[in-house]
Amino acid sequence: MKALMSLGALVGVIGILLLGGMTFNIVPSTTVRLVEGYMPMQMLFELTCFVAGFAGLSYMMSAMGMPFPRFWQGIGFWAFILLYLKYRVYPPIPFSVRAMYGTVSLIAVFMWVSASEDDWKKFKQPIMNVLDAQGGMNKLLRYAYIVLIPILVGGFSYNAMVPKSEEPIELRTVHPAPPASTKVHGKTYTLQTSQNPYRVNQEGKYDQEYTNANIVEQGMGRLMKPNANPWDDKNQGYLKYVREGGEIFFQNCHFCHGDNLNGRGLHAFAFNPIPANFTDPGTIAQLQETFIFWRVSKGGIGLPNEGFPWASVMPPWEQHLTVDEIWKVILFEYWHTGYYPRTWD
Amino acid sequence: MMDSITRKAGIAAVAAFGVVLVSSASYSIVSAQGLPEGFKKGDLAPEPSAEMIEAGKRVYFTKCVWCHGVDGAGDGPGADRLWPRPRNFNQGTFKIRHTASGELPLFDAKKPIPGQNDLFETVTHGLPGSAMPSWEGILTEEQRLQVLSFVTTQLVKDRKFTDKQSETQTILQLAELKAKPATDESKKRGGELVVEKKCVECHGMEGRGDGNAFNLKDDWGFSIQPADWHKCWNFRGSRQDPYNVGNIFRTFSTGVNGTPMPSFADNTTVDERWDIANFVNSLCERDALGNPLPIDPLTDKPKINFVIPSDLVEGEIPTNIEHEAWQKAPKRYVAMGGQITHKPRNFVNRIDDIWVRSLYNNKSIVYLLEWDDRTKSVAEGKLPWAPTQVNIDVKEQEPKTGEEGSIAAHQNNYTVYNDAIAIETAVKWKELPAPIKPRYLFGSSDQFPVDIVKWEADGSLRAFKGTGWDKDFEERDNYEESMKLLKGEWKDGRWYVMIQRPVGNKKDQDYDEDTFFEVGQYIPTVFFAWDGHNGDAGRKMAVSAFFYTFMNPPIPQETYIYPAVIAVGVVLLEGWVLTRRANKKKEKGKAL
Repeated sequence: MKALMSLGALVGVIGILLLGGMTFNIVPSTTVRLVEGYMPMQMLFELTCFVAGFAGLSYMMSAMGMPFPRFWQGIGFWAFILLYLKYRVYPPIPFSVRAMYGTVSLIAVFMWVSASEDDWKKFKQPIMNVLDAQGGMNKLLRYAYIVLIPILVGGFSYNAMVPKSEEPIELRTVHPAPPASTKVHGKTYTLQTSQNPYRVNQEGKYDQEYTNANIVEQGMGRLMKPNANPWDDKNQGYLKYVREGGEIFFQNCHFCHGDNLNGRGLHAFAFNPIPANFTDPGTIAQLQETFIFWRVSKGGIGLPNEGFPWASVMPPWEQHLTVDEIWKVILFEYWHTGYYPRTWD
Repeated sequence: MMDSITRKAGIAAVAAFGVVLVSSASYSIVSAQGLPEGFKKGDLAPEPSAEMIEAGKRVYFTKCVWCHGVDGAGDGPGADRLWPRPRNFNQGTFKIRHTASGELPLFDAKKPIPGQNDLFETVTHGLPGSAMPSWEGILTEEQRLQVLSFVTTQLVKDRKFTDKQSETQTILQLAELKAKPATDESKKRGGELVVEKKCVECHGMEGRGDGNAFNLKDDWGFSIQPADWHKCWNFRGSRQDPYNVGNIFRTFSTGVNGTPMPSFADNTTVDERWDIANFVNSLCERDALGNPLPIDPLTDKPKINFVIPSDLVEGEIPTNIEHEAWQKAPKRYVAMGGQITHKPRNFVNRIDDIWVRSLYNNKSIVYLLEWDDRTKSVAEGKLPWAPTQVNIDVKEQEPKTGEEGSIAAHQNNYTVYNDAIAIETAVKWKELPAPIKPRYLFGSSDQFPVDIVKWEADGSLRAFKGTGWDKDFEERDNYEESMKLLKGEWKDGRWYVMIQRPVGNKKDQDYDEDTFFEVGQYIPTVFFAWDGHNGDAGRKMAVSAFFYTFMNPPIPQETYIYPAVIAVGVVLLEGWVLTRRANKKKEKGKAL
């Protein structure tokens, strides 16, 4: 038990020092980098480490006869959560959201310190000591608080009132409701019934099972199946069209959606909203192939009225590609990300 | 060995540069073993295992083949629309290395020494400023080593990483060389050395990459640009750590194979190289306090703030950039991407950022726009289209042309048009509550038109109304009197343009075509930029996302009064709590 706790304390101290150092630029802020794709797991792991660290630390300190008062434990933990949200989480969370998390964790800390009558007493003891002090440090402290609190509150409210030019929060509709049908290059496609004409097996028949069996494997790297190389010249059907779709993708789409289809292409840094990340399970994996066909053909300018802010630079690809080329690109996108298109039922 | 040296049209340029080098290398600094200072002999890495190579093939044909091609000749389907072109692996010429000039880079499939496994680092961190992304977090370490095992053994054809007869490894001992502190003295000495060593001949007097911008070619005969030292995040060798001076020291010591950038290891001491690296590093853009700009880890470019604040000045707005008001005005980084929404698409935009500042008074708002452009371009004679024309005859790059017709081969061969910049604002922004914007690119028909103010390098300043991406502009009435070009100057690879436009007024604004700039409101603003030497004209241009112009209001009186009232309230509250507590105690005392 003791060994476990001291290990926890060690992890906690190292973690806090590292985090503090990175926040204040004492060590390079890239020392422990958040790696895209692992970010949520990484953060959960980090937080687990810190919780273990705190538990271990407080145990060690009380074992050594210098226990942290409950009061400071509560405040310290809450402050840590606020700082972690502000400085560590990336991309940054807007203040309003942080305020919400902050309130929730404040309530949680409150519940923790007031879990039993004893705990609650311990928690409020320092406050009472200061309030009731007749002399010594605490009395001084009380006077300091009496002076400081109004100044701080006044200062904060001044800060809140001074006109600021913060970026307005930009919410947007990610997947607007599709129309029943869409007209591309003079032909009308009903979204519910249209099919990708290139989702075919080697004999040229529409075959979802065959094509789904030949997409890249899920898991790190999303590599192609060992015996399903689209660059094999002998390919017929699906894999041949995947390659053709890939060629079109890397002549047109990768500039924004990136070489790995993760929305981090060459020009992506300049655009807002950022280009869609197809490897994210929230994009093409959630949508039907014909929905993608509609979005690709019509682009940002073809977004319906409720699909604001209309700032998308997504080209209406009907201006650049034929219908066949659009279907092939869509085929490639599902192949490369290893997702199955959603069906209508 | 000879294979790595040019066979194509680049010979002339490289040879010419060689002359410069030899003449400047009048003395040579070598250590006892005949090696340049800071280098040590190393052993060639062992051949990767057959399993590694086979596994790497699978990675290559999933991820890399699309740009680098089936034979690794840098001719994949994506290659012709890219500049720089994807690397041709066949010759074994690699840019970013720890090895001496001309040598193969370090690669060991077995034990990646942190930071010293060159090809592994390149795949891990990508090559900023090119289309090569960072593969960290996408491929595992193992997968990256596998694909490199495949590339180095199967696709590098003219040289062999394991051939002791023909290959040597002379390794820069970067980990052991302690960086010299970037003192003013060191930077000053570096500033003198870049002139002495003729760095400025290519990189330009201010280091914006504007010297000799037309004549440089790489080993494959494609145009190549000297690095802009003010954008360290675009350094190919920046390794996602752009302000790290060690990266500059390394590139300067080992040179960039396949390009006219030589290694300076033979004619500089280690100490001199640190001075130069410190100087070059000091030129990279920094914030007002001189700290490195925060870099966005998702894009590896400076973080973007989408609000362009404009400060109030009393009286005339100064036209001198050195004026205190301009020096104090916050400078915003406006990222620029190619216009790739409508034809003709601009796959290679040579302007990738603009720095914007703004001031206003009761009549006008002034934008100060600064951007790096290696070439000052003014069209010869009259342009073949009217200024209002949007649909003009500029062709976009075909998808598949082969090397000769590729975008890389076209560089510096375009018809030269005017450099230009434009500011687009939403006219009826009040009817567009944030975040709603007018339709990209030039608004929409008559519902949400845009107001476009465009400056061109021929000195013209015009105002248009835009009503759609494919609709010709309408020239606005009587803008000549109210609009003014305060500055339009190109110096050492940078444009400085100051545009003054009226803020409009509430009473008699020309509501349908002129934007009314209201204090304290977010006014959607887009920037467009054209590089004349890139053949940019019409929709072939660089574009920004939507920013907001925000004219900072003077601080209202309430801001001072309310906090004071609140503070007094808190004092009263404190008094109440303390008295109550004291009373309670007294009662307790009595009870006892």
